[in-house]
Amino acid sequence: MHNVLIIDDSDINLTLIKALVLKLGDCSPTLFDHPVAALEWCRSNVPDLVIVDYMMPEMDGLKFISAFRALHGRNEIPVLMITANDQKDIRYDALLGGANDFLTKPIDRIEFSARARNMLSLRTGQKYLADRAEHLSALVEERTAEIREREKELIFRISRAAEFRDPETGAHIQRMAHYSQIIALGLDLSIEQQRLILEAAPMHDVGKIGIPDYILLKPGKLTPEEFEVMKGHAKIGHELLKDSRSEIMKAGAEVAISHHEKYDGTGYPYALKGHQIPLFGRIVAVADVFDALTSERPYKRAWPLEDACKFLEDGRGKHFDPMCVEAFLAGWEHVLDIRQRFRDEEAPQV
Amino acid sequence: MAGIFVLDKASILDRLGGDEEIFAMMVDLFVQDVDRNCAALATALASGDAAVLRREAHTVKGLLATFSDEAGAADARVVELRARDGLVADQAAAVAGLQGRLREIAAVLSAG
Repeated sequence: MHNVLIIDDSDINLTLIKALVLKLGDCSPTLFDHPVAALEWCRSNVPDLVIVDYMMPEMDGLKFISAFRALHGRNEIPVLMITANDQKDIRYDALLGGANDFLTKPIDRIEFSARARNMLSLRTGQKYLADRAEHLSALVEERTAEIREREKELIFRISRAAEFRDPETGAHIQRMAHYSQIIALGLDLSIEQQRLILEAAPMHDVGKIGIPDYILLKPGKLTPEEFEVMKGHAKIGHELLKDSRSEIMKAGAEVAISHHEKYDGTGYPYALKGHQIPLFGRIVAVADVFDALTSERPYKRAWPLEDACKFLEDGRGKHFDPMCVEAFLAGWEHVLDIRQRFRDEEAPQV
Repeated sequence: MAGIFVLDKASILDRLGGDEEIFAMMVDLFVQDVDRNCAALATALASGDAAVLRREAHTVKGLLATFSDEAGAADARVVELRARDGLVADQAAAVAGLQGRLREIAAVLSAG
């Protein structure tokens, strides 16, 4: 059903045009004898065709069309302007001012029907294209979400590959990633940035793939030489992930290279200091260390939560960015929820 | 000055695609509105406002044209154009002529 808006200050013209519109079939006319009231109606209603007289009190047809076109989403809606036979100049102004076509008075039914039908066909085409564009947009969004999900799964599996060579667990990856997100939330980062760090943080230790087993799996303390080799995992991870077109991979590369830097400049691989260290690196440093301390490993018991918190607090401005520690502790209730959700003995669920 | 109005129903119906129903509806409305349209012309003249008189003359021009009264519509157009040029006071006779024409057509249509 087409909604046809008719505006004319003459009752007889309103009645005539309404009757002609009804004769077109599949049309519902809406009548106004005052253009200002019609414009107000147009703010919350979208007609499929506007038929407007030229000469009316307070606001003539040209001004109405101009105001109507200025409303959001009304730029393409067909407008027929009614003018007298002797108003050629007005017709030119109407066409230049946004009318799609015009009707001359006295109104001729054949001419009216042909022009109105043309305008309604135009509108039907517009709606079809708009619906199609919306459908395609939804389809692209759906496909993008699917690709994103696959990318997330791939990242998780890559991260697990590294972890399989390490005593740490899949649950550790999930916990530290979610802790990182809590810190990002506490720092008022955007929703997109919070999601990005959640997805990128699991790749922090992916470079361990390149560390020999005799070092990575050594039960005892590493020698200084072995530790130097172990430190190489940050650069290896960065090499693996850098130069990707994926935002997540790029963020993962940044996290991999910077999560062992320390706020006071005593970390590795580049001994960066303070805000020289990328923000994601500073965030992941807190999340990773906290989870490592509070998790049980074959070679160590889990630290009590209070002791781990004290370690973070003592490390403010030394190992850790004070703002990141503060954001982590401010989200303590969420931290406890995450610990419950991702336990070491269970297969993690995202 | 237009001569006696003769109803050319055939030409009106031709414009309306032969639709008697719409024709009857328009006749009813014209007859119902004739007093109001005459009064609007009188008010416009009395106001001295050329823009208002121009608009009312334009409306009457359209009404007369709708009933195929080309001569009456031409008289209304003269009033409209003169009002567009700012002339009001000396249009009393022409306005009275238009009022008379509206009543004449209403009478013909009512007799119809």
